[in-house]
Amino acid sequence: MKVIMAYCNLRADECLVNGKVVMRRDAGSEDSWFKQIYKQQELVYPKFYKMDVLSQAGYLASELIKRANPGIMEAYADDEIALVFANASSSAETDRRFVQSYAGGGSPSPSLFVYTLPNIVLGEIAILNKWYGENMFAVLPKFAPGFYLDYSEILLASGSRAVLCGWLEATAGRTDVFLFMVEEQENGTEFNAENLLHLSRTAAAF
Amino acid sequence: MDSLKEDLKKQIIEQLNLEDLSVADIADDALLFNDQGLGLDSIDALELIVLLEKYHGIQLTNPEEGKEAFKSIDTMAEYIRKRKAA
Amino acid sequence: MIYIGAEVIVSPLGDNAEDNWQALSENRSGIALVPAAGFNKEDIHLAKITGLSGHLRFQQLVIKALASLEERIDASILASDRTIVLISSTKGALDDNLHDQFSETCTSVMQQFNLSHLPIVISNACISGVLALNVAGSMVETRQYEHVIVIGCDVASDFVLYGFQSLFAVSDKPCAPFDAARNGITLGEGCGAALISATKSVFKNPPLELLTGTSANDANHISGPSRTGEGLVRSVHRTMEKHGTGAEEIDFICAHGTGTVFNDEMEAIAFNRLSLADKPLNSLKGYFGHTLGAAGAIETIVCMQMMRNNMLIKSLGYCDAGTSQPLNIILENGPKKLRTILKTASGFGGGNASLMIRNL
Repeated sequence: MKVIMAYCNLRADECLVNGKVVMRRDAGSEDSWFKQIYKQQELVYPKFYKMDVLSQAGYLASELIKRANPGIMEAYADDEIALVFANASSSAETDRRFVQSYAGGGSPSPSLFVYTLPNIVLGEIAILNKWYGENMFAVLPKFAPGFYLDYSEILLASGSRAVLCGWLEATAGRTDVFLFMVEEQENGTEFNAENLLHLSRTAAAF
Repeated sequence: MDSLKEDLKKQIIEQLNLEDLSVADIADDALLFNDQGLGLDSIDALELIVLLEKYHGIQLTNPEEGKEAFKSIDTMAEYIRKRKAA
Repeated sequence: MIYIGAEVIVSPLGDNAEDNWQALSENRSGIALVPAAGFNKEDIHLAKITGLSGHLRFQQLVIKALASLEERIDASILASDRTIVLISSTKGALDDNLHDQFSETCTSVMQQFNLSHLPIVISNACISGVLALNVAGSMVETRQYEHVIVIGCDVASDFVLYGFQSLFAVSDKPCAPFDAARNGITLGEGCGAALISATKSVFKNPPLELLTGTSANDANHISGPSRTGEGLVRSVHRTMEKHGTGAEEIDFICAHGTGTVFNDEMEAIAFNRLSLADKPLNSLKGYFGHTLGAAGAIETIVCMQMMRNNMLIKSLGYCDAGTSQPLNIILENGPKKLRTILKTASGFGGGNASLMIRNL
């Protein structure tokens, strides 16, 4: 049975892993929400600071999933975990910043330009984990369980054995990030539309 | 303390998003692109080109020119001084 | 069997696949020098479509291609509930709406052609076109849909040009893939569209066979290819293994060949690792420039024309060997029976994708 083995939600003010609140945003801090998570969770990956907001979101959520489920990734060969992500805004947040870098008299920034594609987050995760598997990034009007169900079916039937899926809306005004790991297991939360919708809306109880 | 070198360090930290570093962490002769030094990569090298223009008004027309110049803070300062004197 | 056909190309070389083929067989390029196009007002070589400018040009190009494709298929297909459209693109209608680059195009296309489903946008850098064709083939194989139309489209923009200039990756002459003097890409714009279906009768003209491929990440660098070509090797290997295709069966390779020092070198290494170095090989970017999200679609469709005409097209821009490992670059047009061809793509984010087309 295909099951959702682990998941992470990043919302505007809270971060949850497998349904439990792991951290809340400190409104008084000068650090961005994602920097707060990086520091408080004691992650160590200096490249984090060069990443754009989409890549930071994907990095954080995938690392938190790995931490909460030790060994979850090690069960697979280096090309068996597929990455299937989507969002509605593509890389618009970074696109805006790139335009600002040259529109007002400056020069186009190469370090921003390389992030003006939404699939770069897949590259960052692949590089960190040394994963040589399938990748997909789609731009959809809203979170659509059907897309993940359909494409995971295709991937799991053709060489992938697990799929790390993500919905990554991370812009200045909005944080709606939902990452989940799909595997073939005997027991667990079944990978279906209803469960996906339900888990995507996970938020703290109060 | 050579103020050009100190300024360079600040500019590099800002331009390259080296958040976890302070000016004191960067030795004048540290090899910028070496893993034991700052571990900068090819995109950082391109940002250094932008930095030279933005803060020092110096234009490089191709990345190859930067290879020698960007070895360390020392070589960068020397390169800037040479270009400005010309 | 998965069929691919009803193919359309809209590019600087023409409004349909046949006109594009005519231009290619005459080795005409769509690249021209555009005055003051660069960030510092330099003249830049670009492959732009004459007359395509201004507001809504991305959407117009997509609609034009789909309208043309519609004429080549059974009338009932487009509006069918069993049909879906995949749009492969990197920046969509960026110049029309920086904050929302795709939804207006998807909505307009859905309305205009009375589609049952909103098009799905695949945005995976330069491998998007090949990836979308593979997704289409897989959707039909698994019967999620019966007919999938792939439209690969990207339009030229200052945004993208300035960005590549900041990487010092733009060639100062028309791009020269695999050539010793190559020094960067030439950007282009265009649209390639094709129908993928298991039902041969929906094509008005004979289709070819799509052997759906795979993709693999380099796990190396977000904007530079792996020095060992690891992702490309794995993708091609998996694609060939999936169909039980031996190296001896490949008649021609249409490589990615962007004209940068690093990409072309990586491909040479990868094809040698795969024991495919002796296969006649070209890059089509000397004709179309690098059309980003459209590249995989446009270039695969050109491969189909090569196969329909059993003719190899020379790799435009190439003069002298410029990679550390040898390749068999096609130097002149010439006849060759093409039964099975390999198309590859590589892109930012470390993606690599491949597929094969078989003649029927």
